Amino acid sequence: MTRPDTAGTPAPGTNASTIHDLGYRRYDGAREGARGAFRALFWQGFRAMFGLGRPFKAKVVPVFVTVVTSLPALASVAASGATQGQLPITYANIIGAQVVLFLLFSAVQAPEMLCRDQQHRVLPLMLTRDVTRTQYALARLLSLFTAMFCVALAPLVILYLGEIGVAKDPGATFATMGNTIGPILLFATLLAWVMSSVSAFLSSLTARRAYATAAVIGTFLTTVVISQGLQDLAGMSEATTKMLDPMETLRTTAMQLFGETKRWMELTPPPSVWVHVAELTLLGCAACAGLVWRVRRVSV
Amino acid sequence: MADSLITARNLTRRYGAVTALDALTVQVEPGITGLVGANGAGKSTFVKILLGLVDPSDGEAEVMGHDVVRERGAIRALVGYMPEHDCLPPDMSAAEFVSFMARCSGLPATAARERAAEVLRHVGLFEERYRPMGGYSTGMAQRVKLAQALVHDPRLLILDEPTNGLDPDGRDEMLALVSRTGREFGISVLVSSHLLGELERICERIVLIEQGRLLRAAPVGALTSETGTLVVELDGDDAAVATFVDTVAAAGFAVQPERQRVMVELPVSTTPEHLQQAYTVVRDAALTANVGVLRLERRRGHLQDLFAGAA
Repeated sequence: MTRPDTAGTPAPGTNASTIHDLGYRRYDGAREGARGAFRALFWQGFRAMFGLGRPFKAKVVPVFVTVVTSLPALASVAASGATQGQLPITYANIIGAQVVLFLLFSAVQAPEMLCRDQQHRVLPLMLTRDVTRTQYALARLLSLFTAMFCVALAPLVILYLGEIGVAKDPGATFATMGNTIGPILLFATLLAWVMSSVSAFLSSLTARRAYATAAVIGTFLTTVVISQGLQDLAGMSEATTKMLDPMETLRTTAMQLFGETKRWMELTPPPSVWVHVAELTLLGCAACAGLVWRVRRVSV
Repeated sequence: MADSLITARNLTRRYGAVTALDALTVQVEPGITGLVGANGAGKSTFVKILLGLVDPSDGEAEVMGHDVVRERGAIRALVGYMPEHDCLPPDMSAAEFVSFMARCSGLPATAARERAAEVLRHVGLFEERYRPMGGYSTGMAQRVKLAQALVHDPRLLILDEPTNGLDPDGRDEMLALVSRTGREFGISVLVSSHLLGELERICERIVLIEQGRLLRAAPVGALTSETGTLVVELDGDDAAVATFVDTVAAAGFAVQPERQRVMVELPVSTTPEHLQQAYTVVRDAALTANVGVLRLERRRGHLQDLFAGAA
């Protein structure tokens, strides 16, 4: 009655009709409800962010970004070790240079979930199950956030462990380094929060991945242009204009958190680090609200 | 009310100036029910309201006693949905996708994998379930869509145009599968289609909607039962057929000749005696006119006639 599709002939010895006659069995086991569904959605999204269980093509960007952001950290540790700690490890300098790569990760990987769900129209299927629109939006955002957090944390942890490792007296260094772990976690959280929520929001607006990626990169680059323009043309102070550019704000925040400084920061001292932290947090919250608003309205 | 599967009262949905559903009031009983209407008749809107994907503008609906707006959570565990459109991510395998959908319904990971393997076997997908779905034929894709609707063991399956895009063989297999699901698995099915012929074959009841309104809801048997018309196919030349027609008409029957085929309208009552009488008249007339009778049967109603009658 139901012979298998001609496109896939059953393995030799498999008698289709026999297997069909096993009969349908009811499922009366456990149901985890909305919480189970949220966990499944989160894990599926998190794996997708690194292309796990997906073809090679899906792994290119996550692997590239992870490797390329970790290499300078390793190089810096190596240089510091070779010079017996003469060359200090500069967390903010190294991580600040990687911000664009983290943006690439976020801009390419956020649409991998949010656009694909719309493009392949899996979203309506999920919404007829134990997943509400808000839960869907938050689970997807959490996947991206967690992935970004891990990626941003990796080079910082390499620097941290490296600094302890190459020190003459690791025990003593570890004791004084206790206050570095806080900034590391805070910075990785801020970076992941801003980039993932903005990328997720922009990706939820379209079903086309290419458009979403362009929108994310375009948005961040536009703020660079505006910030530069205001500084060059309107003659506003660097400390003010840099706050209009989230990527620059992240770099400044890193400088302040890790106690490093740049020449412009001495000329025009930027506002306190907590102003920057608040700004980045609020920006992320606004984008997150935008994401939930959009997902609640998208027609399926 | 409690034993009816779906109840809709004055269900209305407007999209701007367009009214997709216009005060639809209908009751669907357990079993296999066909939802029939032309494209744009409001089938999909009705289905989406039942699933809680779309809010009704007015009126109310219940699925197995649960309100579609207030008790969405309760309905979700009871209903499986196979959409009309493609919904398969091309780089996922069927096994992975179906088990993910099971987990979205709250099944624990291990149970989800087992159920996925089981339902994929039920729909006839074997080794190929580990391949990425991008390479699947339409027939296989439709099977996976049916499997994901079944994976969490729903009590009601809502199938939106399950035979869309299938060749005749694939169509037959899909219909057999749907019919098996309904009859052997004990799951009620609401299947929508714009093709009456196929629904006629598998459904127990038909709900006919047009322009967002209910046209008719009745068991298939009632819609396609024998009509009060005898179809007689004759073998003979035109003159002989004309003689036959005249003879039958003279016996008091309304007759409509269509070339070699003659429709004989029976009197209102179709008791065996009246039927016997009509058969005798036809036989005698054939003898008189010297024509051969190739076929003599009572005409059965077709669902198509419902549309013709409504238009």
